[in-house]
Amino acid sequence: MEKEGLGLEITELRLGLPGRDVAEKMIKKRAFTEMNMTSSGSNSDQCESGVVSSGGDVEKVNDSPAAKSQVVGWPPVCSYRRKNSCKEAATTKVGLGYVKVSMDGVPYLRKMDLGSSQDYDDLAFALDKLFGFRGIGVALKDGDNCEYVTIYEDKDGDWMLAGDVPWGMFIESCKRLRIMRRSDASGFGLQPRGVDE
Amino acid sequence: MNYFPDEVIEHVFDFVASHKDRNSISLVCKSWHKIERFSRKNVFIGNCYAINPERLIGRFPCLKSLTLKGKPHFADFNLVPHEWGGFVLPWIEALARSRVGLEELRLKRMVVTDESLELLSRSFANFKSLVLVSCEGFTTDGLASIAANCRQLRELDLQENEIDDHRGQWLNCFPDSCTTLISLNFACLKGETNVAALERLVARSPNLKSLKLNRAVPLDALARLMTCAPQLVDLGVGSYENEPDPESFVKLMTAIEKCISLRSLSGFLEVAPLCLPAFYPICQNLISLNLSYAAEIQGNHLIKLIQLCKRLQRLWILDSIGDKGLAVVAATCKELQELRVFPSDVHGEEDNNAAVTEVGLVAISAGCPKLHSILYFCKQMTNAALIAVAKNCPNFIRFRLCILEPHKPDHITSQSLDEGFGAIVQACKGLRRLSVSGLLTDQVFLYIGMYAEQLEMLSIAFAGDTDKGMLYVLNGCKKMRKLEIRDSPFGNAALLADVGRYETMRSLWMSSCEVTLGGCKRLAQNSPRLNVEIINENENNRMEQNEEDEREKVDKLYLYRTMVGTRKDAPPYVRIL
Repeated sequence: MEKEGLGLEITELRLGLPGRDVAEKMIKKRAFTEMNMTSSGSNSDQCESGVVSSGGDVEKVNDSPAAKSQVVGWPPVCSYRRKNSCKEAATTKVGLGYVKVSMDGVPYLRKMDLGSSQDYDDLAFALDKLFGFRGIGVALKDGDNCEYVTIYEDKDGDWMLAGDVPWGMFIESCKRLRIMRRSDASGFGLQPRGVDE
Repeated sequence: MNYFPDEVIEHVFDFVASHKDRNSISLVCKSWHKIERFSRKNVFIGNCYAINPERLIGRFPCLKSLTLKGKPHFADFNLVPHEWGGFVLPWIEALARSRVGLEELRLKRMVVTDESLELLSRSFANFKSLVLVSCEGFTTDGLASIAANCRQLRELDLQENEIDDHRGQWLNCFPDSCTTLISLNFACLKGETNVAALERLVARSPNLKSLKLNRAVPLDALARLMTCAPQLVDLGVGSYENEPDPESFVKLMTAIEKCISLRSLSGFLEVAPLCLPAFYPICQNLISLNLSYAAEIQGNHLIKLIQLCKRLQRLWILDSIGDKGLAVVAATCKELQELRVFPSDVHGEEDNNAAVTEVGLVAISAGCPKLHSILYFCKQMTNAALIAVAKNCPNFIRFRLCILEPHKPDHITSQSLDEGFGAIVQACKGLRRLSVSGLLTDQVFLYIGMYAEQLEMLSIAFAGDTDKGMLYVLNGCKKMRKLEIRDSPFGNAALLADVGRYETMRSLWMSSCEVTLGGCKRLAQNSPRLNVEIINENENNRMEQNEEDEREKVDKLYLYRTMVGTRKDAPPYVRIL
C-alpha cells in the first residue's frame, strides 16, 4: 500500500532532537495534515478531521497554535472531561464561579455561582431563591416597578447597574452583587430600562 | 445427567456469579440451560444492538439486574454523531410490559430521556439501583421522578453524564419516608443544588456510604454534611471557596477527622489548595484518590497530600503532578494497583515543562510492584523506558499509553516505538487491554499478534504501514473482543481476510482508514449475523445510490455481531449494509 505523506517521511526529515526545531514542527505538521487529507477521503474540502481546509494551506496550520487540537477526538480525552477540566475554562472564570451577594436589610451575605446561570432571567430566578424574596428578579427585568435595584461590582471596582451589558460581558466582569433598596439610589436620576422619557 | 434435583443444582449455580461462567454452564446440557435461565439474576449486555429486549426477557424472565452498553467507545471522543442510537426507552418499555421484577439498571453510553426515567420509576416496585455512565438526553426532571417514585431506592449514581439541569427541586422529591439511600452521586450536575434538602436527605439516610457532590455545594455545607454522615466510605467533594476563613476550615477539619471509615476521595471540582490540608487526617486510610478534575492545584500541593496516602491502591491525577510527583507516588504508594495520569493541557497550547515524561512512568513501574492498570498521557516516550517498564511490571492487565502528538518517535533515538510496545506485550502475559500511540510500523502489530494471547481490547490510532499490521492482530489475538482503529492505513484486504472472525468479537470500529464502500459491501454480503454500519455525516450528496462509487473510502465503519439483524432506529446518515 502506498504511503502518502506519512511514516518514513517524518523520520527522514528529523535532523535534531524532535520537537525543538520550529521548522521541523512545520514539516511534521504538514506531513500529519497531508496524511489526514489522504486518509479521510478524496475530496479535499471534505476533510472530516477538520485539520486543514482544501488546498492544504500550510501557512494556516502553522500560524494556528491550536492546529493539533483541531483533529477530532484527539487526544483521546472523553468529552465530559474536556469540558470540565479544560484549563481554558478554568482561567476564564473571572466572573464565573462563586460571587458574594448582599441584600440591604439582610444581616448576612450569600454566595452564588454565576456560572450556573445562562442569562439574566436565570440570574433573577436564582437571586429570588437565594433570599427567598420574590421580586429581586423583577428588579432585574423591570426596574421601575420594584423596591430594589440589582447592582454589581465590576473588575475595575465600580458599581454598575445589572442588565445593561450582554450576559457574557456581565459574567466576565462581575465580582460581587448587591441588591440595593431603590430608595437609597433615589435622586440619581436612574433611567428605567426600556422606557422612553 | 442430573443426579440431583433441580433445586439443588440451582442452589449450586447461585455461587456462580461471573457472566462468562454462567454462559459456560448454560451450554453443558439442555437441563442446565433451563435451570440457569430461570435462575439468572444479573444480565450483562455489552452491545444493546446485539440482542433485543423481547428475546432477553424470553430467555431470562427472572432477571433483577440489567447492564446495557450503547454507543461504541470512540463516542467518548466525539467520533460518533448525535442521534446515532443507543436508546434505552424500548428496553424499559419491554421490561415494564413483561412485568420483570427489575431492581437494578446500569447503563453506559446510552440515550436516556425523562420519559424513560419516569416510566422506570413507575414500573418496578422493588427498583433499588440506577447507575448511569456517560449517558445523555435527560434532565433533572427525570431525576425528580426517580427520587419521588422509587420507594426502595438505594443507589443513584450519575457518572460523567450530560444532564440538562433545570435547577428544579429534584432533591426535594425524595419523600421524607425515604431512608434507604446507600449511594448518591450527582457530581456531574452543573446547576445549583438545594443544599438544605440535601442536608435533610443525608440526615435521614443512616446507611449512606457513598456521597458525591456537585460544584454547587459549598464548603460550609460540606462540613455539615460530613458531620451528619461520619459513616461515609466514599466522598466526592464539590467546590471550595477561595479563601476559607479559619473558623470554617476548623469546622471542616473537625468533621473530616470523625470520618474514620472514609476510603475513597474524589471530586475537588473547584478547589483552593489551601483547603487540602483539611483532609490530611484521613489520608492514611485512603485506598482511592481521584484528583483528576482539580485543574487549579499545583504539583507541590498534590505531592504533600499524596505523601500521606500510604495505602493508596487507585490514583487518578493530572499530569501537573510531574515526574517529580510520580517519584513521590512511587516511593509512597506501595500498594498502588491502578494509575491514571490525565493531560491538564488538552489542546497542547502551553509549553508545559512540568508535565510527565517517560521518567515518571519508569519510576512508577519500579516503585509499585502491584501495579496492573495504567492510563498515561505524556508528551514523549522512549523504547528504553518501555522496556524497563515491561521488566519491572510483568503483571499489567491494562496498559494504555497516549503520546499526545501522533506519530511521535522515540525522542532520543528517533526510531519507532515498536520495540518498546513489543517488550510490553511479551512480558505481560496477562494483558487484556492495550492502547498504543507514537510512531509505530507494522512490526508492533506483529509483536502484538505473536505475544498478546489474552488481549481482548486494542485501540489503534495513527499507526501501522500496510494491511499486514491489521492482519497480524486479527490472526494472532484469538481472544480479541473489541478492536478500534482510527487514522491508520488498513484497507479492504485486511478487512476481508477472515470475515468469520468478526462473529467471535463484539465489535470492530475503523475510521479514517483505507476501507472502501465496496469492501464493506462485500463484507456485509455473506454475514447475516453482522451489522455493518457506515456512518457518513458530511456526505450529503451520497444519498443517491446510483451514483455511488465503490472505491469511495468510508469515513467511519462500525460493525458488530448481532442476533437480531438490522436495527430500525438508525438516523439517516447511518447506512446499514
